[in-house]
Amino acid sequence: MKILVIEDEEGLRESIEEYFSEAGNICETAGGYQSAMAKINLYRYDCVLLDITLPEGNGMNILKTLKENNHPDGVLIISAKNSLDDRLNGLNLGADDYLVKPFHLSELMARVSAIVRRKTFNGSNLLLFNELTIDLLAKEVKVHDMPVKLTRKEYALLLYFIANKGKVVSKNAIAEHLWGDGIDMANNFDFIYSHIKNIRKKLMEAGSNDYIQAAYGMGYKFTGQ
Amino acid sequence: MRLFAKYNRVNLITTVIIMLFTGIIYYQAISWILNNQKDNDLNVEEQEIFNYVKLNQRLPQIFESNDQQITFTPAKPNSVKREYINTMYFKKWNDDNGRRRHKRDGEFEAGRGLISSVTVGDKYYKILVVESKVETEDLIRIIFFITISVILFLLLVLLVINRLILNRLWKPFYSIMNELRLFNITDNKEIPKLDTAIDEFKELNRAVLVMTAKAKYDYKDLKTFTENASHELLTPIAVINSKLDTLIQTENFNERQSKILNDLYGAVSRLNRLNQSLLLLVKIENRLLRDQETINFRELLEEMIAQFEEIFQDKNLKVTYTLTNKEIYATRYLAEILLSNLISNAIRHNYNGGEINISLTNESLVISNTGEDLSLPDEKIFTRFHKSSASEGSGLGLTISRQICENFNFSLNYQFQSPFHIFTIEFK
Repeated sequence: MKILVIEDEEGLRESIEEYFSEAGNICETAGGYQSAMAKINLYRYDCVLLDITLPEGNGMNILKTLKENNHPDGVLIISAKNSLDDRLNGLNLGADDYLVKPFHLSELMARVSAIVRRKTFNGSNLLLFNELTIDLLAKEVKVHDMPVKLTRKEYALLLYFIANKGKVVSKNAIAEHLWGDGIDMANNFDFIYSHIKNIRKKLMEAGSNDYIQAAYGMGYKFTGQ
Repeated sequence: MRLFAKYNRVNLITTVIIMLFTGIIYYQAISWILNNQKDNDLNVEEQEIFNYVKLNQRLPQIFESNDQQITFTPAKPNSVKREYINTMYFKKWNDDNGRRRHKRDGEFEAGRGLISSVTVGDKYYKILVVESKVETEDLIRIIFFITISVILFLLLVLLVINRLILNRLWKPFYSIMNELRLFNITDNKEIPKLDTAIDEFKELNRAVLVMTAKAKYDYKDLKTFTENASHELLTPIAVINSKLDTLIQTENFNERQSKILNDLYGAVSRLNRLNQSLLLLVKIENRLLRDQETINFRELLEEMIAQFEEIFQDKNLKVTYTLTNKEIYATRYLAEILLSNLISNAIRHNYNGGEINISLTNESLVISNTGEDLSLPDEKIFTRFHKSSASEGSGLGLTISRQICENFNFSLNYQFQSPFHIFTIEFK
């Protein structure tokens, strides 16, 4: 994927860049309104991560420019404002998704992957990963054409892992992804373990490799080429 | 005690005391005047006797009269001192008087007498002239009663008028009071300017207006501060979060390091939730979340329960619920937060293998859970940052829940019926 990160906060920008680059994506960055405008007018990206609160100008204008010029780039808005108005405003202007700060990088990756998948596969709804075939529309998973019955949460978790393959995903990130951040069962993530155990069991019973590994008690890692 | 009652009491006591005094003085004065008059009558009678004696050189004949009795008794010369006395007057009843009974042919009445003396030839007589005072006393009584009734009537009229006028006069005061009682610092409603001609109330109204405006301004200021502070916190939290996510990619942690990282994750996520809660609270109080819609509360509740399924299982909680169809008019986002808060509280404060009961009726939603066998301080739990020592929450969950309920005109209350902690939302 080719990604543009427009974010004025240097620390956050660097983290995002590193996370995406390490996963094998091409990641460019812009720290301000002007450089962002210059980049979106010159190059095309699979997805633009757009912080709408930039010091020199409103990020919404960048989104408007993209849409006015009919650029096909996917847009994910990153905002510190968790207001419904902003969210609706952004989505109405043509943004593909809206993520509120602070977020986990794995969550960002999952969202961006979903956007890019929708854009590039152009209506095709099959996600292939080695022996795994995932029908995104029917929400069905097959291993070597053999259907695996996953629960809704297990399915969501599998997609999350595939989007973040090769990365250690923290338990916090998993919990927030599956249950939303409204659920604060702090420091008690045992229930995640049983989900993971179930997915592994089901996939391996269907003949898949064992991709999910525990990572130093902090989280899990989906390994695979 | 109300001002009006106090005023009336003082008023009444003084009036009664003054009235009593006046009554006594009045009575005395009239008695004195009428006695004087009686005495004059007696003088005239005495003079008549003297004249008669002088003219005829004998005592006048005594004849019965209804209001006068004259007796002559021989006495030692110069033994009688002339004086007026209060005495009894024996009034004889006529034969046709219905009250006449055996051995009683009259009755004693109050009388005024004059003792005097006369010398007829060489005989010295004591004269006693007695006149009945019944009529004067009747007169006094009548005058007294009329006066008393007039005073009483006056008092009554005064009382009624006072009541009416005072009530009207104090109306602006009570209306200001009422406004103050309804005053809510989080409301956007202003206290209305009062239309009154009375300076004191105008001033009071002005003072109240200034005070409430200032209170609201200060409160708003504080809220803006909270909101800004929370917003400013978001970016550093986001940076910490992303740096942590990056850090754990760098492989090869020993057990001690991963324990530290886990704790860091936990702390950051708590910090984040706390911050989000503060922002949310400000938003609800500002009524910034308006887009209300009709929500099938039952469906929403079922979704939420399904969301928590794994967590129920993880804690071996026995969850029973009876849900009836119920539609509410609310903001979906807030309704979700409300349910999520209440259910996660029921889980968090439960023990392993405990119970949660959820019942939704047309009137109310009741969520009860087992937990520590001890009643929580009823009202305190809804205040900000109140939490039990063991709680891992932000201490804002119930505050937010109650705010949301108030936003939708629901009420949220807590009860403890051992072993259940019960939270009840009543739809109105």
